[in-house]
Amino acid sequence: MAATNRGTFLSAAGLVWKWQRLVWWVFFVCLIFGLFSTQEMTERANSLLDHNMAAQRLLKGFDISAIVLLQQLPDSPLEIQGHNIVHFSMLFVVFMLFATGGILAAYVLDEKPTTTAFFEAAGHHFWRFFRLLIYLAIVLLPIAGLAAATSAIRTHIDEQSISPYTADHFLEAAAVVILLLLIIVRLWFDMAQVIAVAEDEKKMHRALRRAFGLLRRNFLSLFWLYLRVSIIAWALFAFGLYLWMFRLSPQSNVAAFLLSQLMILIWLGTRLWQRAGESLWYRNYQANQVPEPAWTPPPAPMYMPTAAEPQQ
Amino acid sequence: MRLTKVFVLAAAVALSCGPAFSQATATIASAGTASKPLSTRVVAYQIEAKLDATKHTIAASETLTYKNLTGLPQQTFPFHLYLNAFQPQSTFMTEVRRSGTRGNGPDSDWDAKHFGSISVDKLEVANAGDLTNTMEFIQPDDHNTDDHTVFQVTLPKPVAPGASVEFHIVFHDVLPRVVERTGYAHDFDMVGQWFPKVGVWWKNAWNCHQFHANSEFFADFGTFDVKVTVPQNEIVGAGGDLVSSVNNSDGTKTLSYHSEDVHDFSWTASPSFTVVEDSWTGSQGPVKIHLLMSPGHMASTQRYLDAEKGTLRLFDQWYGPYPYDRITMVDPPHGGADAGGMEYPTLITLGTAVHMPQGVLAPEVVTEHEFGHQYWYGMVATNEFEEAWLDEGINSYTEVKVMDALYGSNTSAVNFPFAQMSESGLQKISYLGDPDSDPIARYAWLFINSNSYGGITYGKTATVLLTLEKVIGEDTLRQALHTYFMRYRFTHPTGEDFLKTIEEVSGKNLRWYFNQAIYGTQILDYSLADAHSDPRKWWDTSARGAKVSEKDEVYRTYVVVERKGEFVFPVDVDVKFDDGSTAIEHWDGQDRWVRYQYDRKAKIQSAQIDAHNQINMDRDPFNNSFTEDSDPRAAHKLRTIWVFASEWLSQLLAWLT
Repeated sequence: MAATNRGTFLSAAGLVWKWQRLVWWVFFVCLIFGLFSTQEMTERANSLLDHNMAAQRLLKGFDISAIVLLQQLPDSPLEIQGHNIVHFSMLFVVFMLFATGGILAAYVLDEKPTTTAFFEAAGHHFWRFFRLLIYLAIVLLPIAGLAAATSAIRTHIDEQSISPYTADHFLEAAAVVILLLLIIVRLWFDMAQVIAVAEDEKKMHRALRRAFGLLRRNFLSLFWLYLRVSIIAWALFAFGLYLWMFRLSPQSNVAAFLLSQLMILIWLGTRLWQRAGESLWYRNYQANQVPEPAWTPPPAPMYMPTAAEPQQ
Repeated sequence: MRLTKVFVLAAAVALSCGPAFSQATATIASAGTASKPLSTRVVAYQIEAKLDATKHTIAASETLTYKNLTGLPQQTFPFHLYLNAFQPQSTFMTEVRRSGTRGNGPDSDWDAKHFGSISVDKLEVANAGDLTNTMEFIQPDDHNTDDHTVFQVTLPKPVAPGASVEFHIVFHDVLPRVVERTGYAHDFDMVGQWFPKVGVWWKNAWNCHQFHANSEFFADFGTFDVKVTVPQNEIVGAGGDLVSSVNNSDGTKTLSYHSEDVHDFSWTASPSFTVVEDSWTGSQGPVKIHLLMSPGHMASTQRYLDAEKGTLRLFDQWYGPYPYDRITMVDPPHGGADAGGMEYPTLITLGTAVHMPQGVLAPEVVTEHEFGHQYWYGMVATNEFEEAWLDEGINSYTEVKVMDALYGSNTSAVNFPFAQMSESGLQKISYLGDPDSDPIARYAWLFINSNSYGGITYGKTATVLLTLEKVIGEDTLRQALHTYFMRYRFTHPTGEDFLKTIEEVSGKNLRWYFNQAIYGTQILDYSLADAHSDPRKWWDTSARGAKVSEKDEVYRTYVVVERKGEFVFPVDVDVKFDDGSTAIEHWDGQDRWVRYQYDRKAKIQSAQIDAHNQINMDRDPFNNSFTEDSDPRAAHKLRTIWVFASEWLSQLLAWLT
């Protein structure tokens, strides 16, 4: 299984690379949404900061008080349009709900994702995945409750403990547990989606049940497959942030933009790497299943009349 | 006052040794009748207190010898009982509920853990007997009869001018869970404003205000002899010289402190402190630095010490000598942050956190600020109820100067490669959070809310003084502060004393400025309304059609400066042309606008109001300049950040799919 897992881990990366048009397409949709969501803010900022010597306070370094000042002004020219960002983010979520079907179809079938095939698959699975989303919300409720309880317990520990570390250590441990639970839930639902696509399963509760069984029987294999990619994603993201915040010159706009977009691309790519890994894993799992022998009726027992039995 | 909490953490050199105060040393402020008092010692407190570290209560007795220097016979004496503010029906809590305070927002619920009280069990006056039953609570500020933070007692006979009266008061304290500077957190006790404190005879009347959400304290100078009995495992810090420490047979120990020429005494105790001893030598000799660090905060030790020594040095150099031989610095534990950021004579409380980044200079800022109060409040003992700006505001200004000198003018509050903030910027944004609801000179408890109080008292005063540098010069203002300190230390000056000192030292009449800045609420905002160049013969298209050389073309340049706010202030306008020539205009700022006109064989390249950024009070520095050349890089930088944030949020939410 380890060898299979390693093979799956790397092959999945190859699959993502092979059908990289999916990555690029989703990335550009995300970028366009990002640009649209910030368009109004940018125009207002530009009208203020262009032809303005005070803009140097933001360009050479980054003066926090300048940003706060601008936001304090009446009719703040630099007001963050949070609602725009949230709206477009929600739109992207809907888009991904739609696109996931097509993406998984490409990975499961390992066929060139033509536009027609992609949209067919996406549309075919959209409402199924929407129903899965509702199930996911229900499953996440107890985890949210656990998070709330963690916060309350942490507060209580902090009030009782002289050392400031006790509460923090508790929080760290609880965060790990909650994170693991979230990963498990996500993995469960990922596999349900894979089953829905691979088996064209219409009933999501059945897909979930099968996925749960699959996960239970092959937990370590699937979990490690998922976790490895997550670690890589977070490590690369942290490294990218470090480069951006501490290494790039404050005035290097082009480098900052390229680096930030590369971080988004890697983040997206690793997520699709996970999806490809799950799809490949399922394909291999199905291929390795020993088929049950077809049932054949047992031969009829031989009936031999005995001498004592009366002849009819 | 306590600084508004900001952030937190750092690295250390711990010099561990037990509490090792010297005996009272032969310094200017040393104990004993041989040394000349620095202040007019109106009060002499002798207090014996015993702390119950489990219940966080204090049983105490106080002998107050009050010297009647009022010039009038005095028969009625008011006293502060500050700890009674921590009760739901008090004026303090009522105001917190209404308008918030530094630690709590409006509509905060009452938490019984924050109950505190000071009860007078017995009050006797020498030669007058037991006057306990004649005590009456008074409410001079708001007539809230449920507020018991001030009582008065009337003696059978008046105390003649020049004579002394001795009060013997038995009282006990219930410390609240840390709230507004005082109380306990885990095994930490911060004991401030804890004893019956007599009011101040000031401006021919008793000045003894109730405790308000947005006010601090006011008291007379004198001496303190305090004996504190605590469990033997407690480590104690106090605002006084440790005279003796005696272990008692019941598992407690009694520490005796003496302090002179101060107007308050506070102390703290915790078995969990780590003691760090250091010292600094200034113009008056050595100053012992006694730092009490809480668990988990040792990484901030060296940051505290470096900031403290830097501040000591610069105050000594710029404003005047520090006359005491010690300073006690207390780092409150986690959960006790509300006790942090506060000043008492020769004792200050600080604030940090477990993982305080080096780039967030919160430990340094709070150290500088609270030590600065040793000058502005501790020695120049202004009335914090009625003129809070004189200690908080002046201290915030000197905080900017000291922090800039120690940590860089652009990086004195936040210093990361990717983001910075200066102290002056911090003060300005604090001010502009609510710039025109209240004037600086308003009584502290009459501000509309805590945000306005904090922003105006601290931020606006600092910004006003920074802007004043443009009028009289930075060196002159420093000289004025030095003069003010040396003249009024150990007294109770007023705002007018301060302003007149500035006028005297600068040799200028500054009433036009002070009337607006200190007593008014006008906003200062000058704006570059227009800056463009037009061909002089703009109508003569044929000449341009004949391709007249640009070098021969004469341009008329217009620069219009507008006063958008009501604050009138003289401004300079720097105009640059594309041939390298410049013009500098000085406008008195009186009218609503002014237009400058230039006819030159050059077009405008840039125009800027206040090119040297000296008018800190200007509300909007982004309407002060114009450049002909386009430069959208700042907007693009912001866009990169916003787009990234939007995309990453999208990706995070897409996890749900």
